[in-house]
Amino acid sequence: MIAIEARELRKTFPVRRGEPVEAVAGISFAVEAGERLAYIGPNGAGKSTSIKMLTGILHPTSGDAAVLGIVPWKKRRELAARIGTLFGQRSQLWYQLTPRQTFGLLGRIYRIPADEERRRLARLGELLDATQLFDQPVRGLSLGQRMRCELVASMLHAPEVLFLDEPTIGLDLVAKARFRDLIVRINEEQGTTILLTSHDVSDIEQVARRVIVINHGRLIYDDRVSVMRRALLGTKMLDVRFEQPPASVEVEGARLVKLSGAGAKLVVDTDRRPIRSVLDDLLDRYDVVDISVADPPLEEIVSHIYARPV
Amino acid sequence: MNPYLAGWRLGFLRTIRSPGDMSVRIGFFAIILVVMTALWTAAVDANGGSLHGYTRTSLLWYVFAAQTAVLGVRPRSVEEIGDEIGSGTVAVQMLRPVSVVGLRMSIDMGEACARLIASFTVGALITWLFVGAPPSLAALGLAAPAVVLGCAANIASCHAFGGIAFWLLDAKASWFFFQKLVFLPGGMLIPLELLPRPLELISFALPFATMAYVPGRIASGHPDPLLLLWQLGWLAVLLGMAGAVFAAGERRLQVMGG
Repeated sequence: MIAIEARELRKTFPVRRGEPVEAVAGISFAVEAGERLAYIGPNGAGKSTSIKMLTGILHPTSGDAAVLGIVPWKKRRELAARIGTLFGQRSQLWYQLTPRQTFGLLGRIYRIPADEERRRLARLGELLDATQLFDQPVRGLSLGQRMRCELVASMLHAPEVLFLDEPTIGLDLVAKARFRDLIVRINEEQGTTILLTSHDVSDIEQVARRVIVINHGRLIYDDRVSVMRRALLGTKMLDVRFEQPPASVEVEGARLVKLSGAGAKLVVDTDRRPIRSVLDDLLDRYDVVDISVADPPLEEIVSHIYARPV
Repeated sequence: MNPYLAGWRLGFLRTIRSPGDMSVRIGFFAIILVVMTALWTAAVDANGGSLHGYTRTSLLWYVFAAQTAVLGVRPRSVEEIGDEIGSGTVAVQMLRPVSVVGLRMSIDMGEACARLIASFTVGALITWLFVGAPPSLAALGLAAPAVVLGCAANIASCHAFGGIAFWLLDAKASWFFFQKLVFLPGGMLIPLELLPRPLELISFALPFATMAYVPGRIASGHPDPLLLLWQLGWLAVLLGMAGAVFAAGERRLQVMGG
């Protein structure tokens, strides 16, 4: 069963005294019910605009879409009862109140019977390990704790599709990992279709099974994450700080891209040599003070996609 | 519970959980009353003890009710609504299966009711202390629903004016304009009877008079139920206008990016 379908979806924004901006330039794709899709692209690629059309906030300039069989911008409120949304940069919780008080309002908005609401809160609280946060004022919660409560708020009405727009933005590494795990659990335990936008490559690898990449409003890649990992995610970035500035850094399987004083940046080809082995070699041969491993930036992946032979 | 009633309850709770904010407002309100008492006392005394039929006592009970009704609403409400439209916050609120403007107004009304209870009580005590009993207890009793209706009309107007941001991207200009309309033709600064006759008639016919003048007029010793009907009529029109502005604005919303 198809949960989300977009056909030649296009959105152009008028600009005062200038050319209109084409944010989404004719995108078509379909998402099966229960899928976990990452919808990614660099800043300004058209991710959020796509989500806003698929949730009914924005009317498209042309094209068509259906979410759970409903045309979003024609029956926004009907669709809103069946989908959940979480925007990393927008809170749906009231700062002066406790999450439980906001959940109470959401329960009335979605007309959830009181017994059912209690049951769902208990289950989501357990699933997301958030029950102990429900009665603390939101203003006292850390960002990671707040995001867990935001996820409870988004899931309270048991939506069939969950749209997540940059949900891990601003979270630290531990909170990000935990949040990704929670999204996967929600999908596996409740069968919720997930559409996730992010420009954090790790979100894609750890949450999604399928990935769509858009750039300048156009779909440029659509495949399974495992395929993308093999084809495009074969590198890791190393940021190393040494005790003393080295004359050079030479490690098999790693390419030095920058050396300034005691700091160096290297790119590791993980298809050629596993990252662990490169790290072992680096730590054995040099006096390393600090080291961090990062995924390549999304912009680099996008340029790899463009550079692929057709 | 109906979602709008639940919104009202949440707004009410949110306000009473912020006692600091409430105390500052009440303190400010008390200062206004004290200053107004001094000013109007001087003005009435200079005019032989009566100004267009208002004695010192009735004029200060007017000031109390008019100020209470206006101060129940957040002072920068129009501007805030405009900012929330421009920043995309309202766009996210559209992802609920309820009326955006209906829920917003019910929450605002819940907040306003919490403030009104406090300011009506404190304001009435201060006014009583300074100028004595109200001209009529029946008038004071009828002023209470008039203050609530005035506040509701103000909140609906704020949403109609703030909704301009769907077209202009912010509501700073309309906030400035709205504030002045409540201030003068609304009767917040002075009773409409003190204006030149043509301006008085025009001002009375406008909706802004229902937000300050009507509660003030009733509290000053004129418990006329027709004034409440006048408020109710304008309230229905203003609610319709706020709903129409938001419905049209939501259809043409242009929010770029996250």
